[in-house]
Amino acid sequence: MLNARFKLLQYLPTHSMKKIFFFLLLSSTYLTVFAQNFDFGSITYDDYEFDRKKLDSNANAVVLKEFGTARVEIDDATGRLELLFDYHVKIKIYNKEGFENANVIVPLYKDDSREETINDLKASTFNYVNGRFVETPMDKKATFFENRSKYTKLLKFTLPNLKEGSIIEYSYRLKSPNLFNFKTWEFQWKIPKVISEYLVYIPGIYNYNVSLRGYQKLTDQKVELARECLRLNGANIDCSKITYLMKDIPAFIEEDNMTAPSNFKSAIYFELSDVTNPSGAKTSYTKTWKDVDYELTSDKSFGSQMKRKDFYKEIVPAIVKDAPDDLTKAKVIFQYIKKQIKWDNYYGIYCADNIKKSFDNRSGNVANLNLNLIAALSAANLDAEAVILSTRENGIINKLYPVISDFNYVVAKLNIGDKSYMLDATEPLLPFGLLPLRCMNDQGRVINLKKPSYWIDLKASQKTVTNYILNGKLTNDGKIVGTLTTISQGYAAYAKRKEIKKYSSPDEYVEKLDDRLVKIKISEHEINNLDSVDNPLTEKYEIEFTVNDGSNKKEFYLSPFFINAISKNPFNLNVRTYPVDLGAASDERIIINIDLKDKYSLLEKPKNLAIALPNSGGKYLLQTQLDENILSLSQILQFNNAVYQPEEYPFLKEFYSKIIQNQKVEYLLKRAD
Amino acid sequence: MKYTLVLISLLAIFNGAFAQDNYDVDLIPGALRNRANSCIRNEETVVDMRAPENVMVTVKRAITVFNENGEDEARLVLYYDKNTSIKAIKGEVYNAVGKPISKFSQSDFSDMSVADGFSLFVDSRVKHYLPNINQYPYTIVYNYEIRNKQNLIIPRWIPKPGDDVSVERSSYTFISKPTDDVRIKTLNFTGEPEVTIDDKQKKMIWKTSNILAVKTEPFSPDPETYRTSVQIAPKQFTYYNHKGSYQNWEELGKWVYNDLIKQRNTLAPTTISMVKDLVKNEKSDKDKARKIYQYLQEKTRYISVQIGIGGMQPIAASEVDRLGYGDCKALVNYMQSLLKAVDIDSYYCIVEAGNEKVSVDPQFADLAQGNHIILCLPLKGDTIWLECTNQKIPFGYLGDFTDDRLVFACTPEGGKLLRTPKLTAQNNLQVRKVSLNIKDDGTANGNMNTVFSGSQYDNSESIIGKSLIEQQKFLKNSYNIDNIDFENITYLQQKTENPKVIEDIKVNLRHYANINNGKMYLQLNAFNVTRSIPEIKARRLPVYINRGYTDEDTIIYSLPDNISTDFILPLKKSFESDFGTYESNVSLDGKKLIYHRKIKIIDGTFPAEKYALFSKFMSDVNMADHLKLMLSLKK
Repeated sequence: MLNARFKLLQYLPTHSMKKIFFFLLLSSTYLTVFAQNFDFGSITYDDYEFDRKKLDSNANAVVLKEFGTARVEIDDATGRLELLFDYHVKIKIYNKEGFENANVIVPLYKDDSREETINDLKASTFNYVNGRFVETPMDKKATFFENRSKYTKLLKFTLPNLKEGSIIEYSYRLKSPNLFNFKTWEFQWKIPKVISEYLVYIPGIYNYNVSLRGYQKLTDQKVELARECLRLNGANIDCSKITYLMKDIPAFIEEDNMTAPSNFKSAIYFELSDVTNPSGAKTSYTKTWKDVDYELTSDKSFGSQMKRKDFYKEIVPAIVKDAPDDLTKAKVIFQYIKKQIKWDNYYGIYCADNIKKSFDNRSGNVANLNLNLIAALSAANLDAEAVILSTRENGIINKLYPVISDFNYVVAKLNIGDKSYMLDATEPLLPFGLLPLRCMNDQGRVINLKKPSYWIDLKASQKTVTNYILNGKLTNDGKIVGTLTTISQGYAAYAKRKEIKKYSSPDEYVEKLDDRLVKIKISEHEINNLDSVDNPLTEKYEIEFTVNDGSNKKEFYLSPFFINAISKNPFNLNVRTYPVDLGAASDERIIINIDLKDKYSLLEKPKNLAIALPNSGGKYLLQTQLDENILSLSQILQFNNAVYQPEEYPFLKEFYSKIIQNQKVEYLLKRAD
Repeated sequence: MKYTLVLISLLAIFNGAFAQDNYDVDLIPGALRNRANSCIRNEETVVDMRAPENVMVTVKRAITVFNENGEDEARLVLYYDKNTSIKAIKGEVYNAVGKPISKFSQSDFSDMSVADGFSLFVDSRVKHYLPNINQYPYTIVYNYEIRNKQNLIIPRWIPKPGDDVSVERSSYTFISKPTDDVRIKTLNFTGEPEVTIDDKQKKMIWKTSNILAVKTEPFSPDPETYRTSVQIAPKQFTYYNHKGSYQNWEELGKWVYNDLIKQRNTLAPTTISMVKDLVKNEKSDKDKARKIYQYLQEKTRYISVQIGIGGMQPIAASEVDRLGYGDCKALVNYMQSLLKAVDIDSYYCIVEAGNEKVSVDPQFADLAQGNHIILCLPLKGDTIWLECTNQKIPFGYLGDFTDDRLVFACTPEGGKLLRTPKLTAQNNLQVRKVSLNIKDDGTANGNMNTVFSGSQYDNSESIIGKSLIEQQKFLKNSYNIDNIDFENITYLQQKTENPKVIEDIKVNLRHYANINNGKMYLQLNAFNVTRSIPEIKARRLPVYINRGYTDEDTIIYSLPDNISTDFILPLKKSFESDFGTYESNVSLDGKKLIYHRKIKIIDGTFPAEKYALFSKFMSDVNMADHLKLMLSLKK
């Protein structure tokens, strides 16, 4: 009897994820013929002549066949269970650009006590010479191992005698002590594949959650019973033999403004749910959120650290003593922690040291900083919770069941009255309540010491806002002299502050700015709120720039788009496959008033414009006018969403295009005599 | 009496020690804080050459970091391999007032391999440490000791590693036996080293102090021309079980040839007869070499294989023959061996490759210079240069990676310095001819033909043979104009010694010329707007333009019938300066509006005070490139 449960879940990274999550039912059709592993070196003329146009005429190389098997066996030497993974692939190389596919890197996990090993590596290049296939086998000594880091070793090899048109083939067996994640299978690569097939034997005592990521669908899958596939402590155990098949898989091509490629690449992932011991007892690994809540809140590197408000019982009262209300208290504490402990650039949901140690060392990972923050907030009797999440580059979280290893980051959530604030102490230049852009990734899970956990949307609490105000006058020698004030908020202010802080003083920053803006001279400057990050950053510059040669023409052209003119379309692709993820909504406003001093008439001007993206996705407004002798412009550019779906791409492109068209037009001014 | 003396001298020592270790940031003179993100308070490097195979390097380094951007200088990165071992590392961190706040040792360092991209076996590893301090300023003090089992390459002294770093004090001590013969290259150092000699050792100390941080300037010359450095090269050396001696390029070249290359260029008899057969119909040596180079390009590809003696010795030619791949050393050695099979002599040449032209120093021979190998064929009256790691590059063409610089040729007769060919401003061409039909609605479409040659060939060589999707992407990047689309893309490569890439495309620019209030706005220079360069007040360094070029654009716009051409007047702009020339003009021929633009930038080194003129010139060009015509529509 099959006592293993297999359901294949497909989850896709889209913004309306809840709707897209679905279960793939087991296919009951047996029409597809499943291939077995193929013989090494059985190159056929069909392989050699394979027409890439059938799949992708742009391909530099194509995987003709890929076959993998994973099973569990007992290692005779140690008596331990281990995973055996047999891999075999055949690739057609079309041109020199495809040669890089012959450079192979296999990452292997290692730690102090265990490591993954490679056996039976075989690799050959096949060339069609004088009507027959000539095999050049790779030398054993041409393979190298490199200790990449503490936990990673790389197997590297490259195939010999490579030519345009060569077919390469390699196979190996990987032994792994890691049964928890079984073995992930990547269906989608940088090059297209004709057929990719993965066969797994899962012993009945193991129960795995299996999930399929990405946009591609399985061509077919099949579940059979494999009797007595594993002998354990004298007992024969049956296995589920499952075959996953995908055909005609397109190449994966990365695009700009997208989150982690692993969110979109089609692959099968496994996570161990439970194991039945020979005695019949069940050990559960993947759990319900209730179990996870309990584990996390009692974990000595997580919940125990969150609880340590006693550590702050003397520090906190002293620093909040003048704060009139809870919000001010929280701000003071947040400021204190940001100043006290520096982020060591490591992520993680668990503390590397206990919070006292990181406090004393004044340095720690994400968890150290933010659990310190939670403990300190709690010491002031504020209601603070932890939110675990996955950063943008780490990929999307599987929300069908808890997978703790998906999470790599933790922040604090502070509740005051009916309001809540998300806090992260890692970036001193971000304001209270705004998480770094890296955290803006779908949803996080709120972990409370007393209540059950729940999902929360991760959205920037502030828009990226920039306001430009230019008040100036036109001089007789054709210059505009005036004051430019810039006010930035949200991520715009963060980016600006970071840029200014790159210089040893704001003066040096302005000097560099003046150098860079060749046409504009900056005479005076004033930068406010550089360090008080909760307030908008304001920059004030006295500037001067030439608009015409001053020959006092009666009629002259003048482009009103001095500030952040848009001349290039950021959305210039013809096709977009994946969503455009900008991270946060944004709002840019420009107001320009120029005193012409004399009487002019405005003969030509850019059209006043009001355009919008569908579904209130954004808008652009432009108004210009001449009122008495004041020439004014007001412009608003708004993007209301952080993420736009591929089908919205043409609208974004057209939206920008309209702005660019309009900005090509200039004022034509005529002096009234 | 005796006691007092001891006490006084002890006191003196203590005083000295105290003064040296006071890392209070307030003690840094104001001038050293100006423009500085970090300040080297004190650096003492001692190189003790006890024996050729035992060179101890001891470094004490104290750096004050003023802000986040100075953090890179606080980072310690130490490379090691079989011949370089790290004996000890320790250090402390001090706060702003000079109070110690933490300590670290070797176990706090991370350890990783130095592989870059796909490289087969790099035996070099690196230890890395960066403190986590969030209160600026702070001071970090390192002490470390490294043992080198070779003395072919002695660590160089560069007291000021970057523009934004100031130096309070720095010294470099070289200790050797009094009998050891060494050559010393000192750049931009005023004064003489302190020298002390006794029976056992000779000690030389170079010292410098109070060097200010400076602003980084664009178009700067090679740092070698202005920064202080000391490089030492011993006469007798040991390197990975090789021993030798040299004092000039000639002797060094002889050693490289005899000890590293000679025994690596044997080929199997079958390969030799294959090569002979390959060229049997070729008349001249040049034709033979061309044929063999073609064979090399088809047979081999570049794979970084950094193994063996510090990455200096090529793998055997017979191995490359079998595997079909190798690194620059291996491929050059293989090509040399193939040529030898048909009795064509060639030189294995060490070069400092890169876009910036850096020559080997004719006055000072050592192997610390150079990072790449190329092959030189001294044919009668016609020297041919070959780059052996690139399968697309034409025979006899080096490109901007190794052009116009002195290289070190290792020949059986000894080392020679040779200069690679120069790519001149006249020959680094981009010539574009476009005809665009403008429709009533401002949409422009037509054909565009661009020929890239000289160093501009290099810019576009990589696009040859790429897939259509990648070519489309590349074009969208190169011609980033709103609503641009490309059709019928073809790239033709003229694979000669003066190679060309010919780009032929059909372009469509929807609404290129905007229509507003009865006027059509047309930016004449559609495809090649030169950017302005920063203005630099009080320019310090000479202006250096690495490579010149010439761009010529001709665009013929066919105007729609609804444009009244009566008011279009011919227009001409031209500027001239020491740095180059620019001219653009517009003329009308019936309904055809002809725009022609030519810019030439000349390479060279110019005095610092000329920078303002350069900036003005580029700014004028940029202004002229933005020239827009407002065309009236017929009513």
